[in-house]
Amino acid sequence: MRLLFVLGFSALCATANAEEPPKVDPPSPVPPKAYAKEARPEIRLADPNEPTGKGRFEFGSYGRVSVASDLRGGTGRSTNIVSHGPRIDEESYTEFELRREDEWSSGFHTRVVTSLALFAPFFHFSGSLDQRVGVRNLYAQASAKNWSLWAGSRMYRGDDIYLLNWWPLDNQNTMGAGGSYRIDHGQSDTTIALHAGMQRLDNAFQAQQIQSPIPFGITSMAVTVLDRPRTIETFKFTHVMRGSDARPVLGNANGGLKFIGYVEAHQLPAGSFRDTTLQQDKPLPSDWGFLVGGQVTFYTGKRDTYASLFVRHARGVAAYDPLAVPSTFAFDRTTQGTAETQVALATNIELGPITLPMAAYLRWFRDASPTETSLYKYDEGAIVARPHVFFSDHWGIAIEGSYQLRRHAFLDTKSGGPLTSSILKGGIIPFFSPAGRGTFKRPQFRLIYNVTSRNEGARSLYPQDDAFASRAVEHFLGAGAEWWFNFSSYP
Amino acid sequence: MVVQLQLVPVKTMRKLVSRIATFIAIAAACGSCVSIPEDGQKPILATHVDDWRDEVIYQALVDRFANGDINNDFRVKPGKLARYQGGDWKGMLDHLDYLEALGITTVWISPIVKNVETDADVDAYHGYWAQDLTEVNPHFGDLAQLRSLVKAAHARNMKVVLDVVVNHMGQVFFYDMNLNGTADIYLGGTGGTSPVLRSTEFDPDWDSRGVQASTSLGIAGRAPIVFINDPSINRVPPRPFIMGRGEAYHGFGRVLNYEEDAQRLLGDFPGGLKDVATEVPEVRATLVDVYAKWVEEVDFDGLRLDTVKHVEHDFWKVFGKGIRERLAAQGKKKFLLFGEAFDGRDELLSTYTAPGELDSVFYFSQHYMAVRDVFEYAFDKTQQKGTQQIADLWNKRATLYGTSPQENGIGVAPQKALVNFLDNHDVARFLFESKGDTAALRNALTFIFTEEGIPCVYYGTEQDFTGGNDPGNREILWDKHFATSGYTFSHLANLAKLRKAYVALRRGNTSVRWSSHHTNDETDAGIFAFERTGGDAATSYALIVMNTNARKTSETRADGTTMAVTAPPGTTLVNVLDPQRPTFAVGADGTLYVSLPAQTSAVLVPSGQVVQ
Repeated sequence: MRLLFVLGFSALCATANAEEPPKVDPPSPVPPKAYAKEARPEIRLADPNEPTGKGRFEFGSYGRVSVASDLRGGTGRSTNIVSHGPRIDEESYTEFELRREDEWSSGFHTRVVTSLALFAPFFHFSGSLDQRVGVRNLYAQASAKNWSLWAGSRMYRGDDIYLLNWWPLDNQNTMGAGGSYRIDHGQSDTTIALHAGMQRLDNAFQAQQIQSPIPFGITSMAVTVLDRPRTIETFKFTHVMRGSDARPVLGNANGGLKFIGYVEAHQLPAGSFRDTTLQQDKPLPSDWGFLVGGQVTFYTGKRDTYASLFVRHARGVAAYDPLAVPSTFAFDRTTQGTAETQVALATNIELGPITLPMAAYLRWFRDASPTETSLYKYDEGAIVARPHVFFSDHWGIAIEGSYQLRRHAFLDTKSGGPLTSSILKGGIIPFFSPAGRGTFKRPQFRLIYNVTSRNEGARSLYPQDDAFASRAVEHFLGAGAEWWFNFSSYP
Repeated sequence: MVVQLQLVPVKTMRKLVSRIATFIAIAAACGSCVSIPEDGQKPILATHVDDWRDEVIYQALVDRFANGDINNDFRVKPGKLARYQGGDWKGMLDHLDYLEALGITTVWISPIVKNVETDADVDAYHGYWAQDLTEVNPHFGDLAQLRSLVKAAHARNMKVVLDVVVNHMGQVFFYDMNLNGTADIYLGGTGGTSPVLRSTEFDPDWDSRGVQASTSLGIAGRAPIVFINDPSINRVPPRPFIMGRGEAYHGFGRVLNYEEDAQRLLGDFPGGLKDVATEVPEVRATLVDVYAKWVEEVDFDGLRLDTVKHVEHDFWKVFGKGIRERLAAQGKKKFLLFGEAFDGRDELLSTYTAPGELDSVFYFSQHYMAVRDVFEYAFDKTQQKGTQQIADLWNKRATLYGTSPQENGIGVAPQKALVNFLDNHDVARFLFESKGDTAALRNALTFIFTEEGIPCVYYGTEQDFTGGNDPGNREILWDKHFATSGYTFSHLANLAKLRKAYVALRRGNTSVRWSSHHTNDETDAGIFAFERTGGDAATSYALIVMNTNARKTSETRADGTTMAVTAPPGTTLVNVLDPQRPTFAVGADGTLYVSLPAQTSAVLVPSGQVVQ
């Protein structure tokens, strides 16, 4: 039962997580290489002077570590109320990647990738030695000139929207296998990628173990009685057109266009959850869903200037992130009837000492519950811009402004209309960028100040004893750093 | 280093921002955006009732009626009747067809406010353990869904009555009797010669001084009231604000002797349900305001008032006046206030229909003296009472209960609008007490549908439920798949149709034509007959004849005397309860002979008044 129903804000949070990346911070992006001239991920080969059959180890990392005050004597915390809110006040998170690269005399290239993620709080803050660690990558990949194969446990992702810390199209976290094939047309290339994977989250929607008496003797052992892995198949078609002096793309000789078509299919088998108090089995019928989406990206090839449009529509269980759990259902305990539509825009313009990343998205989510009013039927959106001004090659200031809103099909008894929560944020980020100018140059050392104005609807989402339930204005004053290097999360 | 400032073209920026803003505006204005459905929005109050005697009330325990949304099934334990089962307002909305087919015109729903979730492994599925009088119980849906239910009911010309409790709240505090700051349940005794006593700070026994604190040195004065804060089961300080203060409660402990007025009025209700100090002006004002607001928010048509005999009369006068005047000013008239006084004494029941108090009460004395003694006990002639007991009962009704309508009330005198019922959620079902005697059940249903007053059917009666005492009598209705083909369902639906068709059955005055002490082999053993005519029914006429005897055919004749009726001699009366429509002729001497098989009834109307 607990998978279904807990009311109040805790449930709201649970559900918010249900259709978006899980509460644990998702790994953060690497620089948007998708916009670089070579759309296909660059594989770092072994030194060609080395004998074949030998290789080397590589180390890469993504990380953001910051600490902040709320200027009231407490710690600063994120105020977001939408699924993909601006990241200015996000929590710390880091990943370490250890990678083995080999090139074989046969001409094949292989890599074995291990990525460990560490989730806040860290020891120096909490004093706790129980660090939360996640294995985000553990797979091997083989590739040749035009194709690649991989198998294992993998973050499997497309392009991100940095300002929202979000992968709006493909963002899989499964154990499985996949492959891609690339056709080079000269000034353009086409890549087809397939992937099939499985995950069975440790919760009462997908998995349950109970103690059962052993057949001989007197004791018990754990037996899995609910085993509902979600199987996910993805298909991705990518076509990249690169400009040249002879044939510029939208007037850019170094620019290009990227078109992506993307499809997911999700299946959940039937199962049965046992109420161990009553010794009653609750049937959970089989379920399924699909997702279709597309992306168009234009990049100038000059610094990291680009613009992307993402569109996706999902039905059934595919409307829920694979690392999340549906919390509301149709009467037959399936997710049939759930629908999600998203449209997102992201851009980054870099001109001289100024860079301007911006992002916006709209999302319409409808759960499968049979009632017209539900906290889990809602519209939401966010818009954010973070212009940077570099006073020199390494020092600058960024200013971030954002607005986010979520409107639930849930009665606000005060207004008589839908419960509408909104947040307006404004922040300033003086920074130091040793790697030079650019929105995505890292590492970046920052001071951050952000102020958030929260409307009554936003406050109403929190339990009454939470300070966020009563405070209309929040401050976040902190310092931190963000880095990434030599990281291979992209397929 | 020379910094070269190259500003982003303002024109480009403006264009981009403008496009994004336009996009958001279009999306925000789209038809697919979320909204609150029209029927979930605050209603405009209106009077939906003409005459409450025209109504047929159906008591629905929401948790047990229908489950329309599994997403509010918190804490549900299927099949365990002391726990939540999952019924909700959406389920009721989905099955209004079922109620309409049954002939129901008013639905009385169990309490809607937020409760303490559970106590001693029993859940608040019934709704009588209030914690927050201002919020709906999320087990049953949200406010918009509740409004949708009521609006859908009104669209079918059905009314909705809300069940409310003012006498007590749930178990929201404990008495710190040993002054240690924690809630204790312990056994007392030295282990030597002193008695071993069980005591609990949640539900201590009545103490006329107020619950006392004591230490090893002796009595230490009134035990402090300590509100509990356990959000996991919503056992948190009650709301609205005044209900979270100690002075809003009497603090005398649990009622032990219901015959003692002080205990009855001031004592906590069994189960640690804390007795509200309804005489405190601020508390009174709050309770009037809270429940008037619920009506304003949802457009209910009446309130069923729980445990009225545990609240002082003055309160009901203030409450009745406050609610009626406030609602009438907004167009909500003929608002029904009827109370539950679980007591067999007419002398007590009737006091709550005194001027200024309630429009009606449940006819509990009839439940015992007629429903139980005459109908339920039909299977046992040693227990069954003669129908004279009903006649005697009704005679007291005419003299004890209110004879004038309440000011701003329903427009009908209480004695003509008593709520007649066979059973409810607080007593064992009729079929439990009658050992499954469905013929007796149908006969008793005929009785409450044809007598003066407002018939009230407990959910599941139509499905021949047989549950014993609480919680056995709170079965899950959807287990019966809302079947409409059962004999009792059809009988009930037929009675509702007759009641609707013949105004005499709804509004006529009552005149008992035959009653008897006989319960054995006498010719008229078990016969009861009464006329309904006159009054607000004018010349419409009905004669109801019942044989309550379970063993033999009986007739309206004994010792050479035949039943006299007021219908003119020669009148042909048609039994409209029988599909064959048999006829009976009033004799030249004004008498009528009717012979009825065991546990059957006849509803006789003049042939000229028969509705086809």
